[in-house]
Amino acid sequence: MRGSRGGRERDPGVEEILRGRRGEGPISRKAPGPVAWFDVRSMTTGHLAFSIHRITGIGIVFYLYLHLAVLSMLLGGEDAWSGFLELATTPLFLGLDVILVFGLLVHGLNGTRLALVGSGFVADHQKALFWSGMAFGAILLLYAALHVFTAGD
Amino acid sequence: MAVRSRPDGAGRSRSWRWTALTGVALLLLVTIHMVAHHFVVEEIGGLRTYRQVLDYIATPVIFVIEGVFLVVVTVHAMLGLRSVLLDLGMSDRRRRLLDRALVALGIVTVVYGFVLIGVLASRA
Repeated sequence: MRGSRGGRERDPGVEEILRGRRGEGPISRKAPGPVAWFDVRSMTTGHLAFSIHRITGIGIVFYLYLHLAVLSMLLGGEDAWSGFLELATTPLFLGLDVILVFGLLVHGLNGTRLALVGSGFVADHQKALFWSGMAFGAILLLYAALHVFTAGD
Repeated sequence: MAVRSRPDGAGRSRSWRWTALTGVALLLLVTIHMVAHHFVVEEIGGLRTYRQVLDYIATPVIFVIEGVFLVVVTVHAMLGLRSVLLDLGMSDRRRRLLDRALVALGIVTVVYGFVLIGVLASRA
C-alpha cells in the first residue's frame, strides 16, 4: 500500500507499521502466522525487521526465565554459585552471552525504531533508521564481545 | 485479576502504547543492569562472585532499580508474548483466556523475582 504526505510517496514499510499500531497487538502483524517470519522470498527491510524482532523477542523471553532459574542457584549458597561460575566462564557459555547481547541490541534498537515510526516521528526514514541502528548495534556488539572474552585477563 | 479483551481501536492502541513505553524504559534499565552486572566487574565474563552478588543486591538503590526492572521487563514480555501468540489467530474466547493466562504468568514471575532478590538481599 502506498500513501503520501506533503506530496511525497510514503514507504510501504511505514504504512505497515502505522497499520500495525491500529491492528491487534502492539506490533505490526505481517502475516497470518509465524511461518511468514521465515519466508525470505522477496523479503523487504520492513519484513526482515519484523521477523528479527519477533524471533529475538521470543529468545529474550526464554532467556528471562532461564536467567531467573540460574539466579535461583544463589539460594543454594556459595558452593552452588561457584560451581555455576566455573561452567559459565567456559568459552561456549561466553559465546552464548555474546549471542544474548546480539539479541538485546537488535531487539532494543529495532524496538526504538518501531516506537519512533509508530509515534509518527521520522516515518519517512524508517529504512535508514533500521540500518543505522544495526550498524550502531554492530559496534556495541563488538565492544561487548571483546569485554566478555577479555575481562579479568 | 480479570482482563477484558478489547477488540476496539482504543484497546489495541493502549496495548501498543504500553509496549512502547515499557520498551523505552527498558532501554535505560537494561543498560544499567548490563553495565552494573557485567561491565564494571573485572572477573572474566563480568560475572560476580556469591559475596559480590549479595552485597550488590542489598544496596537499597540497586534493589529498587532491579525491582522496577523486574516489573517493567515482565510487563513488556507479556505484551510481546501476547502479540506473538495472537499471530496464530484466535477466537475471542481464546483471546480472553490468553489474556488471563498472561496476567497470571506475569504476576507469578514478578512475585518469584521479588522473593528471590529479597532473600538474597537479606543474606548480605
